Parts: sequence; structure tokens; C-alpha cells
Amino acid sequence: MVKIKKTRLKDFIDFVQQEYDVFAPTEVGKKTAFKKIDSAFEIIHDIVNTDRSPKEVFFPQSEVLFEYGKDGLKTPERKEKPIAVWGLRHCDTSSLTMLNKVFSDAHQMPDKDMFKDPYWKEKYDNSLIFNQACNTPLSTCFCHWFGRGPFDKTSSDIFVVDVDDVFLLEGISEKGKAFLAKYEKAEQATKEDEAKITELKRKAESFLAEKTDISELFEKIGKLWDEPIWEEISGKCVNCGACTFVCSTCHCFDVSDEGKKGKGKRIRLWDSCMFQLFTKEASGHNPRGISTQRVRQRFMHKYNYFMDNYGVHLCTGCGRCVQVCPVNLDVRELIKKVLDYKIS
Amino acid sequence: MSNTYIPIPMKVEKILAENPDRSLRTYDLSFVNEADGKNFHYVPGQFCEFSILGKGESPFGIASSPTEEGILKFTVSRTGSVTNEIHYLQEGDIVGVRGPLGNWYPFEKFKGKDVVIIGGGFAFTTLRSLLVFMLENREDYGKITVIYGARTPDFFIYKEELQEWDKREDLNLILTIDKPVPEWDKLCGFVPVVTKEVSPDPNSWCVICGPPAMIKFTLPVLLELNFAHDKIYTSLERRMKCGIGKCGRCGIGSKYVCIDGPVFSYEELKKIPDAF
Repeated sequence: MVKIKKTRLKDFIDFVQQEYDVFAPTEVGKKTAFKKIDSAFEIIHDIVNTDRSPKEVFFPQSEVLFEYGKDGLKTPERKEKPIAVWGLRHCDTSSLTMLNKVFSDAHQMPDKDMFKDPYWKEKYDNSLIFNQACNTPLSTCFCHWFGRGPFDKTSSDIFVVDVDDVFLLEGISEKGKAFLAKYEKAEQATKEDEAKITELKRKAESFLAEKTDISELFEKIGKLWDEPIWEEISGKCVNCGACTFVCSTCHCFDVSDEGKKGKGKRIRLWDSCMFQLFTKEASGHNPRGISTQRVRQRFMHKYNYFMDNYGVHLCTGCGRCVQVCPVNLDVRELIKKVLDYKIS
Repeated sequence: MSNTYIPIPMKVEKILAENPDRSLRTYDLSFVNEADGKNFHYVPGQFCEFSILGKGESPFGIASSPTEEGILKFTVSRTGSVTNEIHYLQEGDIVGVRGPLGNWYPFEKFKGKDVVIIGGGFAFTTLRSLLVFMLENREDYGKITVIYGARTPDFFIYKEELQEWDKREDLNLILTIDKPVPEWDKLCGFVPVVTKEVSPDPNSWCVICGPPAMIKFTLPVLLELNFAHDKIYTSLERRMKCGIGKCGRCGIGSKYVCIDGPVFSYEELKKIPDAF
């Protein structure tokens, strides 16, 4: 483990930038989001959850798949450096691993590459992930429900802890270790420095609200398909889709053409299962035409279907959906309701 | 790495209006680049995203059989904005196709067995693919029975081929329309009723495609005849965009129609709520 003085962070970020484009929490208008930064001074260090999730670093809200014109089709050529993301809390780091499961899944098809998403892979596969310990979890946080925690080090390249006037850095993956080894200006962390981590971790965990045991959630929610609980939950929902847009793991998208017949581009855009048009077919038939069906789809996908396919819940407990919901639907309350529900 | 979002350029070779109101048209497409054709390996039951640059894409089952080399056939009903644009196409125009996508009818399992194909309306597309494929390899299969229903005689697709198939000794083709009309010498009655009357051997494998109502009422007939649940297959339709299990909209339970389907057995579907 090495340490870098906060006053020297600019030098370290400059060093990272020699090889990578650095994305970090910063201000975008009145909101906070992970954006490409020019210098370390733009980084906001004390926000736990950016308003917008970091998924947009690798899976932007809109992305050109190709352009078409007289000369045929042209895919956008990526000229940028690989991506490094600084300041990810563990919830967000783990959301990227979930999205990676979807976008790099070959679905057991004979042509393996055909089913992987090249746009995601091009960016994510070469990335360097800095996972920063979360010193002050919010009242909306529930990462611990999923067996993770604010000081979790897994699924990252480099683990970062903000301690007093220094950042402690620990290489986790081989790639992370090798990268840190190249930065010669870092000092070795002392035993005293490392001891402070234990104290910070204990303090961070004390901020977390009471934990709900969700070990039965997958099985229980899977049995509630036909139960009236969905009407009860969806009664309040206005299908605005805000939860799906701020969600760090929602990955549904639309593909749409912009331009005319002879010249234009095909883009993909975030879409939402909360919208009626999401599944509406040209014939008028809509398998999820009513709100209750859409709300059920969202939560079944999060806590049942994804587990079925990938062995993990499609939720990190980041709490962004709790923060933005205009009618105060709290997913934690929903989970508790599901767990307490008596099947009729 | 290959990029599945890029459509393969194809040329419209032939357009055939299937019915008098011209709402159903069949398109024969050929590969613009020979290499694309050589790399395009599909089997009956798979689908493609048909792409009109500037309008978008829509999924259609492949109606041609892999035995018909060099072309891909799609039958398109004029319904929404993309299909509308497809209907404006002229022979010689260039379009895009992504695929082949999805799984297929389990024709390997049909070898040496009797097969019953039940279809309704213009959902006969991938059934045509399967039927043509089996007829090309006729000795591989036992008895082949086809029950095909349409509202009126006009609404059958592939009419010329139906006439040819009707003459074949090695194929039992049963055509039925909803209500009697003059000069119709085949059966009259809905598909479920006709299926009951034909009473196919329950040891056969069955593939059924058609409007949801037809499937809903024909399934009980097949079950009553004692068809095994894992020997009845159908093909589902959903709005699909990416076709590779990423964009999320064609989900039914924890399955995606685009990658886990579109072909499912009744055994699989009965476990998925709201699949029909």
C-alpha cells in the first residue's frame, strides 16, 4: 500500500492521464456526474453518490452505432485513450461488473463474438478502475443488504482510501498493481496509516441503517407474479422512469435512426421499462401495457430474473432511485413488503 | 471483433404482393457482397432485423430455407413505420439485414419422426422455411402433415407453392378458411376444430405458429390428443431491437425472446408467466 498526499494528487492524476482519459465525480450544470476531467482540481471528493450514475462513462445516454451516407456505413473510430475512473464508490464499481455481464455475454451462441457488445467492450475492457472507500454512507444507502460494504475492495483495479491529508492506494488486480508500481513518487504507507483504515471502516459502517436479510428475496419475489402486491406498489408509481435513468445497473436501450434516407446515423439511447412504448408492438399489442405489469417487470428483473441468469441481484443498493422518486417509492420498503408478504 | 449492430447490405431481387389488398408482400433479397452470403449460416426458425437506414429496424422470421442458396426471403405485413417503408421498396433497392438471430426449430430431433405443422394467417413464414427444408431432405422424416388456416382464400401466403405442395403424395396438406366462400373446395372451420378433426398422431413432433388466439385454442386440442409437452414448439413474437440480449425489451420472465427464443417448447413456456 502506498500513499499520496492530497496536495500532490494533481501530480498523480497527471501521471494517470499520460496513459488514460480520467473520468471522475465533477459538477455538470447543477448536478454531479462522472465526466472526463482535465485536471485533478475538478474532482469533487466529498460526494458519495453522484446524481448521475457512472454507467454513462462506458454506456453513454446516447451513442452513435454508425453513420451512413454515400460512402456506405462508418462506425465511429475511437481515438481517445483508454478510460480510468477515479472516485467510484464500491456500489458503483460493482454496478459496472453487472453491466459487463450483460454486454460481454456471448449467450452460449455458436458465434461467440457476435453476441458481445463491441461498443461497451472497447471502452470497458481496457479501463482502470479506482474504487474509493466510502467514508460516509448516506441514509439512502443499502449496499450492505447485498453482502457488500463501503470498504469492499473487490472488482476493482486500485483501492483508494481517503485518510486525513493523504490518499492510501492499494493495487488489487494485477493491472492495478503494475500501474501503481510505475508511479515512483508514491510513498510507502506506514502501519499507522493502515490502522486508520480500520477505524474509518468501523465509522462508515456505523452510518448504515439497519440491515434487512434478503437471502429469501429471490425465491419469494419469484412466487408473487400473480399476487395483488404489484397493484399496491404500482398504485403510486407515475411511470416517470427517473429511477431507471439514475440507476447504475439499468441497461435497457432503444435503437433509433436520425437523419434522412441517404445520410444520417443510427444511435442507441437509454430507454426504460417504465414506459408504455417500450414494449408496444406495431400491431397495437402490448405485453406490458399497464403500469402494474411494468413495475412488476422492473423489480422482477432486479431481484429475480437477473439472479436467474447471472447469479447476482441487479441492484447495488446505491439508493439513487430512492433519492429521485417523485412519489417517494422506496425500493427498500418494497423489498421488505415482498419479504413480509403472505401469499393468499 | 465483429459488430452485430452493422447490417449486411442486401439487394431486393423480387417483390411479390401476396394478397389482393397488397398488405402482405414477400421480398427475396440477395447478398450484395458474396462473402457476406458465404458467412451467413442459418437454419429454419431464425430471424433477422430488417433495416431501412433512416427509418430503423424490425424483426422478421426468415421465410426462406437454407437449401435455397443465395437468397433470403421475408414476408412483411404493412403495420408500422418500418414496414410501411419496406412496402415502398422497389426491386433493385439496397436494404440492410442483421442476423441470423435467435434459436431454431429442433429439426435435428425430427429425424425419422412424424411432424405436424400448424399455421395461421401470415405467420406461415418460418413454417415455410421449415417445410421447404424438410421437403428438400424428405427421406429424413416420417409423415409430414400441414394444417394451415386463413380468414379467406386471399389471406394464404405462398399460394403458388401451396398448389404444388397440395399435389405431393409425400405431404398431407390441409387448408382451411374461416367461413365458406364460393369455389373453395377445401375445408372450412377454425384451426383448432380442424386439428381435432384431423387428429394427428400424438407421437409426432408439432410446430405451431399463428395469431395468439389460434395458438390459445389449438394448444388444448393438442394436449387432449396427448401430445408430449416437450414435443410442441412455437415461435414467439415481441418487439426486439438489439437482437442479442442486451436492450431488455423482449423479456419474458428471465428469458429473452431474441436469444432464448424465438422458438420455445410448450414445456418451457408453461413455466413462464404471461408468455402467451
